[in-house]
Amino acid sequence: MLPARRFSLRRLLAIGRKELLHIVRDPRNLFLVTISPAFLLFLLAYIFSFEVTRLDLAVMDLDRSSLSRRYLESLSSSGDVALAYSIDSYEEAERLLVEGSADAALVIPPGFGEAINRGRPAPVQAVIDGADPLAGREAVNSLAAQSGAFVLAAGNPGATVGLEPVEVRTRAWYNAGLESLLSMVPGLLSIVLTMPTLALALSLTREKESGTLEGLMATPVSGLEYLSGKLLAYIATGLVSAILAWLVAVLWFEVPFRGSLAVYLLLGAAFFLACMGATAVIANFVRSQQTAMFIVLLIFIVPSFFLAGLINPVSHTSLVPMLTSYALPGTHFVQISRTVFLKGLGLAYLVQPALALLGMGLGALLLALRTFRKRIG
Amino acid sequence: MILRIATIVVKELVQFRRDRILLLFIMLVPVLQLVLMAQAVSRGIDDQGVVVMDLDGTRWSRQLAVSLDNAQELEVRYYAEGNDEVRRLLDEGRARLAVVIPAGFARSLIEPGSSQPIQLIVDGTNVVAAAATLGAARGVAGRFSADLATGYGLVTPELVDFRTNVRFNPTLDFRDYTIPAELGFIIYQVTLAIASLGLARERELGTLEQLMVTPIRRLELALGKGLPAIGVGCVNFAVTWAVGRLIFGVPMNGSLLLLSALTLLFVTAVVGWGLFISAVSQTQQQAILFVFIQAMVDITLSGFLVPVKNMPALLQFISRFVPLRHYLEIIRSVTLKGAGLDALWPEAASLALISLVIWLVTLNRVARHTD
Repeated sequence: MLPARRFSLRRLLAIGRKELLHIVRDPRNLFLVTISPAFLLFLLAYIFSFEVTRLDLAVMDLDRSSLSRRYLESLSSSGDVALAYSIDSYEEAERLLVEGSADAALVIPPGFGEAINRGRPAPVQAVIDGADPLAGREAVNSLAAQSGAFVLAAGNPGATVGLEPVEVRTRAWYNAGLESLLSMVPGLLSIVLTMPTLALALSLTREKESGTLEGLMATPVSGLEYLSGKLLAYIATGLVSAILAWLVAVLWFEVPFRGSLAVYLLLGAAFFLACMGATAVIANFVRSQQTAMFIVLLIFIVPSFFLAGLINPVSHTSLVPMLTSYALPGTHFVQISRTVFLKGLGLAYLVQPALALLGMGLGALLLALRTFRKRIG
Repeated sequence: MILRIATIVVKELVQFRRDRILLLFIMLVPVLQLVLMAQAVSRGIDDQGVVVMDLDGTRWSRQLAVSLDNAQELEVRYYAEGNDEVRRLLDEGRARLAVVIPAGFARSLIEPGSSQPIQLIVDGTNVVAAAATLGAARGVAGRFSADLATGYGLVTPELVDFRTNVRFNPTLDFRDYTIPAELGFIIYQVTLAIASLGLARERELGTLEQLMVTPIRRLELALGKGLPAIGVGCVNFAVTWAVGRLIFGVPMNGSLLLLSALTLLFVTAVVGWGLFISAVSQTQQQAILFVFIQAMVDITLSGFLVPVKNMPALLQFISRFVPLRHYLEIIRSVTLKGAGLDALWPEAASLALISLVIWLVTLNRVARHTD
């Protein structure tokens, strides 16, 4: 094949059309590219549709006075704390904590009620399962706050001069009820929308496995036309999948969409370009579909759960992990998606992630072309 | 029979060795992944941006801003003059929390009844970060008066002297909690990816028919495909465990023997699932589609994103069939809590049962399929 052949838009579109035919003709492929993101979003988001964070308490009440009972009632009054187990020994507390049946054990020593009646501080001990640090901190804060509230309710006979407590009023913007479903659905879009990228990775490696790539190489189609044609077809169908997933988010899960659909789709295309560009580079070095799948799973899916800011925000305290996070296209799309959905802001606020995705995509595409040419030659 | 299984195992291993890139990704990338993810999540939610709008401008209001900044989770980065500035900083995502200290704040602390609440405005787009940031700010506000009073030598005796004792992870270190889970994820993804394509690939390439004319029986074929995958999973566990333990100092309060045994059980279950997918798929593409759907569902139900006990009842029930859920429970309990088999037998039994059923179904399917 002659390397100096001129670029032809017609050939590029021909490749694009061939790809589209492949996608549409094979029902499995069509599902993978267009419907699977919406389907996965539907499955994954359900887990966030209920909000119960309950603290299961194992209580060892050695005082058994009316005051200790009142104290326990006040702890459970808010509904966040459940007095799940009543126990008699430390061994039992230990067992419940190790099994994970209880989140904390509360020990009220004998003489609790008497101490309060005499105006002395009555000690209460809480043993907290700190294995999960986030839940552990919440348990410490919640129990301490409830104990403090008991002080105010019962009145404090021994109180001397002090300062008034600070009153706090809280509001949440963009997601007034702090509902996790509304926060997670836009975030999860960034994970489920990697499915079209997977389809591209498989399509690129399948042509090698089945030998049809060699057939294409015998035609006048150049590397640029071949890759751009493929990318064009998969980005176009990816956008169809983005619309379907968007419909599930808005209609089924009733996530408010405050921004503009055009911005969402435009930046969605940039996200696909970044993911698919990187995939095209990798596919040049990979011979089997199995390896391609493995790499997409390893590079795009699993790290995205940890690093993309879906749950824990991107850490800015150490450099290497921060750079890794920003090297993932998913990180930028989580930000874009949440901003467009919940904040309702336009492109002006999204210049940074948009440029990052565009830069990644074009850079990867160039790299893919360079490595691709070498293989043909 | 043993010999014939061994032949298949050798054939599989030769194929692994030939696919250099796959080998690289099986052995090296998981370690790299662990290193990167471990560093990123080790600090938890720290130093979230805070903007303070101080309308009081007294010594105490400034002290409150300093106290907020001293909290591990918070970092006061901006002082705003007006509402527009607060709105802009939250819109741009540069601050996650705004604290508005009203005029008369200091006076309200001395005069009972002249309440002037401070206002916390949080960016709710990421609820996890929002909850952590709000909790930290509420904690600072709650302690503020008492801390000030102590500073002036005024004592307000508490009615309840509340003491906490944090077990298993006394410093509430995120790293000790997350790295074992990441280890579980890594072993899971590698094992599933290896096991799920074995048969589908041979079928697609037509080599399955060649195998069928040899004296190898279907059962032996499935076992010969499964054993190398189990081996890869175990090697992966050994390598990532060594990295987690030596480099990141993951605690180990339980028995390594128990953990290894249960890991073997877990890997066997995952390989069983993988082989099942492989056996029911006509093409690799179909198998891959199943793998991805399964992987995402498994990760979601594993209890990593949402603790299992907070899930809706139906999902809790479904999660019992997910090996990853049991394994995360196991690896966290053994490393952090030093749990033994007496506490973990339900998880161990579940894994054993899942393994048994899925392997029986798979072997049956493979045996029936081609005859």
